[in-house]
Amino acid sequence: MIKRSFFALSKPKLTYDLLGSDQKAPEAIPVPGSLTLLLPETIDSTKQALITQGDAVKKGEKLKLYEDGTDYVLSPVAGTIRGFDSYSDDFGNTATYILIKPDPSKTGEEDTVGLEPEEDLDFANANLRHLPGALPFATLADENTSINTVIIAGADTDVLSDTCQFVCTAYADEMVEGTRILKRMTQVSRIFLTLPEKLQTQANFGSVQILKTDETYPSTLPAMIMKDHLGTELPAGKTPEDMGVCFIRAEALVSLARVFKTKAPVFEKVVTLIDKGGNKQRLTATLGTPLSKIFARFNVHINDSDRIIIGGPMRGFATYTPHHPVVPDMDMIIVQDRDTVTELSNTPCVNCGECIRICPANIPVNLLVRFLEADEYEEAADKYDLQSCIECGLCAFVCKARIPLYQYIRLGKHELLALRADA
Amino acid sequence: MNNTKLIVSHAPFWHDGDSLFQLNLNYLIALLPAALFGILQFGATALGVLTLSVAFAMLWETIMNLVSRQDMTIGNLESAVIGLLFGMMLPATAPWWIVVIGTFVCVVIGKYIFGGTGGNPFHPTLVGMAILMMSWPVYFDFDAAYVSYEFDFTALAPLAAVKFQGAGAAELFPVGGLLAGQEVGAIGAVFGLGLIIGGVYLILRGYTRWEIVVSFLAGIIITGGLFSLTNPDAYPSPLFHLFSGYTLLGAFFLATENSSSPVNRIPMLIYGFLGGFMIILMRNIGAYADGTVLAILLINLVNPLIDNIRPKALGKGVTNA
Repeated sequence: MIKRSFFALSKPKLTYDLLGSDQKAPEAIPVPGSLTLLLPETIDSTKQALITQGDAVKKGEKLKLYEDGTDYVLSPVAGTIRGFDSYSDDFGNTATYILIKPDPSKTGEEDTVGLEPEEDLDFANANLRHLPGALPFATLADENTSINTVIIAGADTDVLSDTCQFVCTAYADEMVEGTRILKRMTQVSRIFLTLPEKLQTQANFGSVQILKTDETYPSTLPAMIMKDHLGTELPAGKTPEDMGVCFIRAEALVSLARVFKTKAPVFEKVVTLIDKGGNKQRLTATLGTPLSKIFARFNVHINDSDRIIIGGPMRGFATYTPHHPVVPDMDMIIVQDRDTVTELSNTPCVNCGECIRICPANIPVNLLVRFLEADEYEEAADKYDLQSCIECGLCAFVCKARIPLYQYIRLGKHELLALRADA
Repeated sequence: MNNTKLIVSHAPFWHDGDSLFQLNLNYLIALLPAALFGILQFGATALGVLTLSVAFAMLWETIMNLVSRQDMTIGNLESAVIGLLFGMMLPATAPWWIVVIGTFVCVVIGKYIFGGTGGNPFHPTLVGMAILMMSWPVYFDFDAAYVSYEFDFTALAPLAAVKFQGAGAAELFPVGGLLAGQEVGAIGAVFGLGLIIGGVYLILRGYTRWEIVVSFLAGIIITGGLFSLTNPDAYPSPLFHLFSGYTLLGAFFLATENSSSPVNRIPMLIYGFLGGFMIILMRNIGAYADGTVLAILLINLVNPLIDNIRPKALGKGVTNA
């Protein structure tokens, strides 16, 4: 953890990790005895389910809960469905865990669903939405959003992580191929790749235009890339997609290229694991592998009151179970020992101004938090720039009173949307 | 499926390790040089005043915590800082009941009834000082306070001397002497050099904002300089103002209190300058010998107004939205 320096005349600076020069190949985790797939659909007992416990599934088979369901997952293995469980994230959005027991004997062709990939957005949306790297085909295929710029994240968006840097340099050829496929699919001509300006790499990115990003957090967050490199300020309350800019992981394009090459879906996700001692391990795991299997492989012991973070230390989320599966957009797993977990407090804001000085979006956080604490979300958005927040988490990082500022802001945005939807 | 109870909380999962305890601890450390000098100069009675003041400030907060059934907050040391500052602004001969009542006003009226930590619109110590100075002005007459003392320098309170004898009296107090604490006054306000060292320490540690301090001092020097230039016989030099009375204590420790001062850069500069400007106006034109307490209360009052001058947030007012 980066601590405050003794002399603190200037504001604290968090820097992104840079990919080292000697990169060994990621360690492959074997397919475990049980997989958990996360399907963003709620279990509804009044509906007739399409899949039930005991059903046999093929490798690559599309699993959908209900006929009118909006989402699906692809089974990474052939086996049987062992059961279902419900899952809810920190905003109460519910989803379903589908537990699958792989059958190692079923490796024949009849146990695998083939794929004849087409360079067509609707096809991709219907079949390739959950490739490792999570290519946002739902957004790209949406008729209401017109994407004119695609930005490939070769620079990681959170500190500590180097997964994106590793993938886009180690598999540069496949990424460039994936870029070509995506270009033909979407007809988007403006495609950029972000790379840390200090990254030394021999990789050849062909004709993809490169945006060199600064090493200081949060320079690679979407809103900052748009401001620094595209010259457009993201209007408050809009998403980059609203403005026609789509951000994509480099890994998603690598997966896309592999799908077209092998004519079958791929399921291997590259993940960086940071253990309690801060050691970094890079691994590949099949989508659906429970995190506990990864911890077992690297001898990471999870005790009571430890914290498992999915994503980075600034923007990730903490999971409540070590059995949470590897999902397509998971770049990093951090395990924090109970002794290093910082306690939050319910002390009110003392107006020290640290958050003001560090906020990259010039938000008056000290005033904003007073309104958020009082549930005055409309006022917070109108007068105190709630929606300008780019969600970097720096305010809560420096808060002397240890107020969970970032959480207040995320909750505020969430409640504001709910309020406006009701109105 | 799940037996291990994990901590589930929200991003960010890192913290720079700073806390209110650290903030206030550093304030206490920064105040120590001036406070220790006060004890050396004025003896054990000064030590008595300071310790009683800190103890009672913390006691009042504890009592208020208990009465209002809230969590104990003395652990963040904020009332210790309030108490120490209050003690340092008193003469060493202040009777015990002044300290007890004063800390009550500071902590309970100045801070607690506004909502406790972070809620105070004025510096709590100054609220206590202002009310006590008006209620019992006789105990704040530094010339009377030290009649039984013997000093090897001019035993006059500089600002009162200038007020009643004219600007010529300022020559009795060389700047070097004022910096080295050769004056009578409040326990913690006489040792200019100690206050400057403590204040600079806080700025370097990032616990006070340099903009306020610098503009405050600039306000004194510029305003005092203009007065002095127009009529050197009536008004002493700005350096005399800078190093006498509560000025340095105010600039480094009182005006910079977090909750009652602005956080944006331009407002901080206006706020500080206004403070220095008001002090000189009160000293040169007003009725008070030392206007620091009231001047800072006044700028505390305008703080919420001027702190509205702030930069445009990202993506606000974009025309092509």
